[in-house]
Amino acid sequence: MTKRFVTTKIEVEGREETKVVELPSRHPAPWGDDATLHIVGQRAERMDALEKVTGDARYTADIQLAGMLHAALLRVPIPRGRVTRLDLSPALALDGVRGAVTLDNVERIRIDGLQLFEHDVRYANQPIAAVCADTLEIAERALNAVICDVEPEHHVVTVADAVAPEAPRVRQNGNVPRNTPRTLSRGDVNAGLRDADVTITREYRTPVALHTALEPHGAVADWSGGSLTVWESTQGIFLTRSDLAKAFGLPLSKVRVIKNYMGGGFGAKNGASHATYAAAALSRQLGRPVRCVLDREGEQSDAGNRSCTTQRVTLGAKRDGTLTAIKLVADVALGAAGWLAGPGRIYHELYTCANVHTVETFAYVNTSPMASFRAPGHTEGAFGLECAMDALARELAIDPLELRRRNYADHDQDKSRPYSHKALDACYDQGAERFGWKKSRAARRETGRLRRGVGMSSVVWGAGGGPPAYATVRINRDGTIEVLTGAQDLGTGARTVLAQIAAEVLGAKLGDVRTILGDTERLPYASNSWGSITTASVGPAVRVAAEEARDALFDAAAGVLGTEPSDLEAHDGEIHAKSTDKCVLIRDVCEKLGDVMIIGQGSRGPNPDKTAIAAFAAQFAEVEVDVETGHVRVLRIVAAHDSGRIINPTLAESQLEGGIIQGLGYALFEERALDERLGLPLNPTMHDYKVPTMSDVPAIDAFFVDSADPVANHIGAKGLAEPPIIGVAPAIANAVADALGVDVTEIPLTPWRVLARLSSRA
Amino acid sequence: MRLIVNGAAHELTAPAHETLLTTLRERLHLTGTKLVCGRGECGACTVLMDGVSVYACLTLTAACEQPITTIEGLGREGALHPVQAAFIAEDALQCGYCTPGQILAAVALLNDNPSPTDDEIRRGMSGNLCRCGAYPKILRAVHSAANAGAAGD
Repeated sequence: MTKRFVTTKIEVEGREETKVVELPSRHPAPWGDDATLHIVGQRAERMDALEKVTGDARYTADIQLAGMLHAALLRVPIPRGRVTRLDLSPALALDGVRGAVTLDNVERIRIDGLQLFEHDVRYANQPIAAVCADTLEIAERALNAVICDVEPEHHVVTVADAVAPEAPRVRQNGNVPRNTPRTLSRGDVNAGLRDADVTITREYRTPVALHTALEPHGAVADWSGGSLTVWESTQGIFLTRSDLAKAFGLPLSKVRVIKNYMGGGFGAKNGASHATYAAAALSRQLGRPVRCVLDREGEQSDAGNRSCTTQRVTLGAKRDGTLTAIKLVADVALGAAGWLAGPGRIYHELYTCANVHTVETFAYVNTSPMASFRAPGHTEGAFGLECAMDALARELAIDPLELRRRNYADHDQDKSRPYSHKALDACYDQGAERFGWKKSRAARRETGRLRRGVGMSSVVWGAGGGPPAYATVRINRDGTIEVLTGAQDLGTGARTVLAQIAAEVLGAKLGDVRTILGDTERLPYASNSWGSITTASVGPAVRVAAEEARDALFDAAAGVLGTEPSDLEAHDGEIHAKSTDKCVLIRDVCEKLGDVMIIGQGSRGPNPDKTAIAAFAAQFAEVEVDVETGHVRVLRIVAAHDSGRIINPTLAESQLEGGIIQGLGYALFEERALDERLGLPLNPTMHDYKVPTMSDVPAIDAFFVDSADPVANHIGAKGLAEPPIIGVAPAIANAVADALGVDVTEIPLTPWRVLARLSSRA
Repeated sequence: MRLIVNGAAHELTAPAHETLLTTLRERLHLTGTKLVCGRGECGACTVLMDGVSVYACLTLTAACEQPITTIEGLGREGALHPVQAAFIAEDALQCGYCTPGQILAAVALLNDNPSPTDDEIRRGMSGNLCRCGAYPKILRAVHSAANAGAAGD
């Protein structure tokens, strides 16, 4: 008997984990480039578009249950201190106020290592209680009645201040997380620098960026009969379930988490949050359903962010451009909690170089905790590395694209293993062709008021997905098909592409297939939708489940058609006997079966051994800079992506465009402003924190160099959600540098920053 | 007071400071209109007042004398408004949270200007934020709805 459970390595957002997985019941032949596919690879409409354009799509904040109450969080507007008095009685005495939770009447619950509603204040707008009332308006008014005294203490908001001797402690165990500074090395960077003909050193800075999902974090909780049901705007229903079960001491079987629609996540919604615990605790206390959804200021000031970084980069190269050394010394301010999403890893991955040395110092500071944000670490790191590559190209007088080609990494150097498939060279070729790279470079304008320039960037991101992930495919008696899996669709299109995979295998009409996601009680496990993994993780499980269902369907159909199952093929809802040319509709076979339900089960198999799986891209930008106002206008962006097989080009291109537009915001406008002296965020609103509008968006030509990756998994697909944001800021910054003839070392490229750069040159 | 929403009259007693957004969502259970910023910065709560776009979060219910159209009243399955149909056909949405506001802003824009240029669409729609970045497809959808004769509906 073959082994059923094995261990495999899975990479999520740059972190590699070893997991136990169950081997699938079957191992289908991979869909390579030569596979004949009819629905996979086609432009199908988004399955849930109708609900979204009619307002029928019900999001967490839209859930209204009978008797539902409303909760609001009390936040402390100072960055560090100690709550010395917290008196809720004036609030509880108000008409319509039903209850409250504080540290005193809730379990000891930890969020990112920090205790829920603790009285040690570690960042501005930290919640310390929740008040619940008949309406949100009453709950919010009640917050003003709470008596709360806080003894302020000195705070730190920069890495330098946080790691200084005698610095105020952000956390009990100090301001430096375990395993930091993190040093990653291969070869001998000093020898590499000695070998170099040319070296350049630059210091780059990236800002704190806010996810700004339009739907804030929030939950509706209904505690009844010893069971807890929670509707949550989350990227991970099963992780949220585990968080809640652990917090309240419940068995997993008594916690149900539901997410049908959600208004964006971008990395910040990966488990239970303050609002979730507050809603659940209040529902238990009051015996009624409770909704707790963050207000916009709460979302912008305490719902995760991309850490700011300082990156001191040194590159060494031979005269011909061959890299001899890559060195990075980086500082990353995490906020009061977070994980080590550093800029360093991309320095090890993007180019061939024998000598690479990165040192990243992470520190806790008295600002709100970071959270994963679309390609965490790589987006920040790409800005430093790719701007430095352009500085090197200028120093060597080599075309920046040519410099990148000369240092092409044909394998994963850190782990000495091959890539499953790498089409970055095709991205360079096709991207440069469609952008008109050579012609555009020659046409740049370096004089006059409006200067024009072009820039580009390479992209790499581990996007292979992996197990465990499960799916069930069942066929109803009318021939309609349901794909069931506990994954999430954040607006990515997961519902649609999973249905396409099932329809492909079953030979069904796509319109007859419905994907049901987002319910821990009714669906088999799939992981968080993070790290660009959903299609590559869940897609193969759906394929296996659909194959199992198809075999049962063909067994039944063979009886109807008087032939063997191996003689059958299905297409467009019809099963066809090759030998006799006889046909029967899937629907008619199922009708004959009556309530005998065909059910297929599928799981995701392990990733290939000793193989790196990554998505790649080359992104190009052209800009116009007004040297009198400092205004940067992006004229166009071309992005060529390798994400393996594309299941649905329309939805995939939409996601590329979206990632590119977020990257454009990161390059030009987005920056959490902080009053360092007071430790307060200055722009926790959508007016003052600038995300791109339609007026800011240039012509975008985002496309795939479509080729399946059959080594990665048997559907040949890799992830594509995160790669498009990674190279945009450096491509734009390199274009601005090209236009102005000066190095650009800091984003966002606001007018004053551009003018300051120009005046410092003069 | 009497409030006309999607052709139906509602007799309401709402406090003078209550916003149209709260009335729609919490009293009438019309949750297609979304609360995102609550202060006129993002456009997610856009509805039509007598065919003109307004932010429901900045509109007091007590001041609504003219009929209101929300996304629920624009078009239903089988009888979609051309702008809704164009948003589906062009994939002009991802998470869908801003979509009702985007669609109603586009309807108002086309009522005012039946064949807008790219720049007129960009300017007319720039008060409606989309964090997923569906803007290129929204631009196409507005053009395609204009070509389908969406104006005046």
